[in-house]
Amino acid sequence: MTTLTHRPGATTARPSRRRLQRPAGLPWILPALVVSVGLLYYCIFYTAYLSTLDWDGVSPLKDSVGAANYVKMVGDPVFRGALWHTLVFFVVSLVVQVVLGIVFACLLHSKLYLKTFYKVLIFIPVVLATATVAPVFRQIYAPDGTLNGLLGAVGLGSLQHTWLSDPTIALLIVISVQVWQSTGVVFVLYFAAIGQIPPEMIEAARLDGAGNLRIIASIVWPSVRGTTIAITILTAIGSLKTFDIPFLVTSGGPSYGTEFLGTQIYRVSISFAQVGYGAALSMVLLVLALAAAVVINVGGRRGSATDV
Amino acid sequence: MSFSQQLRRGALVALAGSALLAGTLTACGGQEASGDGGSATSGTVNWWSWTPDNDLAGREIAAFNQEYPDIKVVYKKVPIDNYAAVLRPALASSDGPDVFTVNASGSFSGTTFAPYALDLTAGTKKLLGDDWQSKVSPIGVKAFTVKGRLVASAWAKVGAGNMWINKETFDQYGVKVPTNLAEWQQACDTFRANGLGCFREGMGGTSGFVIDTLHSIMDSAQPGLWSNLLAGKAKWTDAGVVQSLQILQDLTTSKILDAGATGIQQYPDVNNDFLTGKVPMVQMGTWYQQYASVPSLTAALEGAGVPADTKKITIMPISFPDVAGKGNPSTLFTDPDAGQAVNAKSKVRNAAETFALWLGDTTNGQQVVANNLDEFPTLKGVDVQFDKVTLVNPSVQEPALKDLTQQLSSATEARSYGIGAQLSAAIVQACQQVTSGKKPGDVVGAVQTAAATGE
Repeated sequence: MTTLTHRPGATTARPSRRRLQRPAGLPWILPALVVSVGLLYYCIFYTAYLSTLDWDGVSPLKDSVGAANYVKMVGDPVFRGALWHTLVFFVVSLVVQVVLGIVFACLLHSKLYLKTFYKVLIFIPVVLATATVAPVFRQIYAPDGTLNGLLGAVGLGSLQHTWLSDPTIALLIVISVQVWQSTGVVFVLYFAAIGQIPPEMIEAARLDGAGNLRIIASIVWPSVRGTTIAITILTAIGSLKTFDIPFLVTSGGPSYGTEFLGTQIYRVSISFAQVGYGAALSMVLLVLALAAAVVINVGGRRGSATDV
Repeated sequence: MSFSQQLRRGALVALAGSALLAGTLTACGGQEASGDGGSATSGTVNWWSWTPDNDLAGREIAAFNQEYPDIKVVYKKVPIDNYAAVLRPALASSDGPDVFTVNASGSFSGTTFAPYALDLTAGTKKLLGDDWQSKVSPIGVKAFTVKGRLVASAWAKVGAGNMWINKETFDQYGVKVPTNLAEWQQACDTFRANGLGCFREGMGGTSGFVIDTLHSIMDSAQPGLWSNLLAGKAKWTDAGVVQSLQILQDLTTSKILDAGATGIQQYPDVNNDFLTGKVPMVQMGTWYQQYASVPSLTAALEGAGVPADTKKITIMPISFPDVAGKGNPSTLFTDPDAGQAVNAKSKVRNAAETFALWLGDTTNGQQVVANNLDEFPTLKGVDVQFDKVTLVNPSVQEPALKDLTQQLSSATEARSYGIGAQLSAAIVQACQQVTSGKKPGDVVGAVQTAAATGE
């Protein structure tokens, strides 16, 4: 039997020389690299630069103010409110979407008639543009809208409410629209993940006397951990970038009750023409999105390691 | 190929790529267009604005084309809430509109977009003579002159401070037009007893129509305070402001103001409700008189998605009630509503200037603006020709509209001139908060802070 032994130095030196002699790929990808770096990273660095300015976005005068925009942010109650709304939005929408997504995925993996019809039904909201559905939700929750009309018709007039004029309820409505619109994607991801679980494992659990809830809790839920982490990261980043639903359904109101970082950046940069402050908010959004992704990912891995 | 050759080649590619990127990015920056601006009597002119409605703009363009058949004007109406957002990048590019409408103040004012606007002084002098300033509304000249340059041709002025009622609804329930708080309360009680709303206003979003309501209340409570606030001679923490906000809150608690105001928007929510007869009264300015005309009301109803045979309501302007009970008369306040600016980078800027100046500085242009009943002309000597306007109910509406015109001509107080975007948002926020139950004294500090930033 021959044992191959390698000297570390010898094995790495030759490929390195080969790499130097081989036609480099860098020149070929460089144009695309330059364009992509230009489009992505140039924008980020330019935004960072803008965040140090007092500029209206039009005037040739750009006053450098250092970190003043960031200092202003600390004392801005609308910004703090936006962060709180983002956190509530993230937690509530994540929990509801995950529960609904897993339930739907498990149901549609069971013996059920009209499975395809239900899949389509769950997924349809995903493909509808927010701009299209926003007026519908505004009509539903209007003071003389569908919901109040329905409550009155069934004798529950005492429950009628001016839904969108109450900041807390308006925030819940924004979250409900998000859940309605995104549960389809979560469902598809869980449906695919559950499909990867070996059927024998579930059969064995059944033979051991496990019921549906026990199987979901002890087999399905741990098996789809990776999917859940991915959904958590996507929901966190999506929450930080939330713009269209509050902008179109509640306009960030009432009294900034549904203001998010996205809507605040838009309002500050466009309506108030404070492009520097808007850029500072954008930088904070970027940092928060990266931090959320890292924390959730690391937390998820640690959880996996603990399980092992 | 040796490594050093490859490296050089790679560096060249990188350099070319960088140059390409730099060129692309540089192209994004604003530049003056080259060329002479083309013919003054032919070409295609793109006009962007938030006002007027499409049907009214169509009439103005049709009248313009009778004199300048070779200039094609393409109108694009942009929602008012998004106008600044749409206009800003468009003007920064080389493909922006040739003519763009600017406001007297706020986030899309002439001052804000002055760097992109052509100086229209020479063209206006050519059209109206050296004494041109004496022939147009002085508030328009003041609003659109920035650092000695006339950046827009004043196109129309607008007034606010009055209310509009649905005459048929008032007549049907025998309700008297309210002149004070008690009568207003009584009117609303009657309407509500019959299952209707009463005074509806959309405070949602950032549009500042509620500012007109607060202004009217303040004129009833303490005349002159509003002007002093905008001039910086009074503070927003003044007792008169607190009292006015308290009255606004009282309108809510006494159910004069319909519930849910902070969750709905004036356009389209309240506008559609009023024009379709669901709501008996709203506070809108003089621009609302267009809906006294059959064609404009028909177009608005079509826009609201109601059947074409829906009965057309008779809208009537009324004075804002004396809500403070001090006997102070209701007032109108006025602004140069809009001016037409010409994009300095436009390739057809001569034709664009022809159109902008025709709209604002010629008798024919201003006459069609006046007859649209949307805005009031800024060129002196031009009045509405009621014989050429088809009103829904001429016998009652014509005298009322003439009276409104008379009131506006004697109005001296500014409407929103001097209110920047931040102050406007702060006032709206304060109104939303008191309407939702907060104490007026707790919200005025934030308004004063916004006013003090001096944006």
